[in-house]
Amino acid sequence: MAKKEINQTTQNDDKKMRTRDLIYAGAFGAVYIVLMLIVVLGTSAIPILYIVAPFTVGVVCATVYELCVLKVHKFGAALILGVLFALVACSGNILGMVLAIAAALAAELIIKAGNYKSRKMYLLSFLAFNLNMVCPYTMLYFHRDEFMARSVSFYGQEFADELAKYAVNGLAFIQIGLALAGAAIGVFIASKLINKHFEKANII
Amino acid sequence: MDTILYGDDSKALVRFDPRTKLFIFLSCGLTSMYTYSGIYILLFTGAICAVLALSGKPWTALKAFLLFSVALYVKEAVDRGGSPAPAVVLIVSVVTTLILYALPTILSILLIVQTTRISQFLSALSAMHLPVRVVIPIAVLFRFIPTVQDEWNGIRKAMAFRGISLSFGSVLRHPWRSIEYVLVPLLFSTVGVMEELAAAALARGMDIDVKRSSYEEMKLRAADYIAMAVFAVLAAVIILRVSTKGAAGL
Repeated sequence: MAKKEINQTTQNDDKKMRTRDLIYAGAFGAVYIVLMLIVVLGTSAIPILYIVAPFTVGVVCATVYELCVLKVHKFGAALILGVLFALVACSGNILGMVLAIAAALAAELIIKAGNYKSRKMYLLSFLAFNLNMVCPYTMLYFHRDEFMARSVSFYGQEFADELAKYAVNGLAFIQIGLALAGAAIGVFIASKLINKHFEKANII
Repeated sequence: MDTILYGDDSKALVRFDPRTKLFIFLSCGLTSMYTYSGIYILLFTGAICAVLALSGKPWTALKAFLLFSVALYVKEAVDRGGSPAPAVVLIVSVVTTLILYALPTILSILLIVQTTRISQFLSALSAMHLPVRVVIPIAVLFRFIPTVQDEWNGIRKAMAFRGISLSFGSVLRHPWRSIEYVLVPLLFSTVGVMEELAAAALARGMDIDVKRSSYEEMKLRAADYIAMAVFAVLAAVIILRVSTKGAAGL
């Protein structure tokens, strides 16, 4: 019990990230990225699932994100997670990287609007955060012909034809919608799981 | 504890600096969008395998290089051979492409994770004068990826033992249940490891603000400069050729 009291006082005193929080952020980043890679690589052989990856990743990874921000309770957790994500997922795509970090910053601001106390704002912030899953596709929106030419030689004509069917105009908006829908479902699962398991075990 | 998981360079012929390994990782990220075919990407992967072999993992490097060459050969053969059965061609080209796309990046992560101790990593990153807030999350990220894999394997075994399958079909039939069965034990066990890691780091005085001294002396040597130059040239050649001549340039 004494340990818990100390933790709470340091949390209230200190708004800055300490070493402990940095370690949590980095470690949750590893969990998030491994799960994301399992989901994306496990489904990307089918073109339609490749396109809806923002949805599936949102559903699966929401719980990891929520645990991370709820455990750290300070400015920076979502941002660090976003930067680590951008480094791994969008390396070689500067625009995507900038947008992914912007999404993480938006999530951070939503949490700040709830003063780092409101559970609803924590849950809501994942809707903004999950928009970073759209960022690796930015090439598909802005340089579509180049991307298509590449995926012909990259995946072969059959895959590219299949992909081109779904790469309609306005795909960006469809994917943003998918990301938001996936995030909403993911957040619903996350709040259920947190209530059912993690809160009882005193993890957050 | 399995030391292979957490970095071991006792068998290394040449000890590359962690900064060189990070440079290789970044150059893999830059070229990964261009890696469809051709001799240059084979050279690039060969160079990564050479570095991996010199760092004390010759057998992993050899196996990876053979796998990559076979995938490249099969892909070229399928591309040139026409398509008698489109479905087979689609599956084969997707599998080989996944290998060609992912293998260089996976190898560069292996290079960082399996041949670098975390203290070497920390002192090399601090030598770059990066702030603590950047150094610790990146170091923990690379330290933690093998832990997550380890826990993931354990959870899959435990699920199989209980007769719960994680195949594509069963995930499709019970999506919510599968998510819960994977996420809850994974997060519980990793949070436990995180708390131990944080306690260990605090016990070593990671929390203080003064400059830390280190047992590991990190210096860039001739081998590091040579490796960085080789990867910079290869990456530049691959990117330039593709962006000037298109996909046919390779």
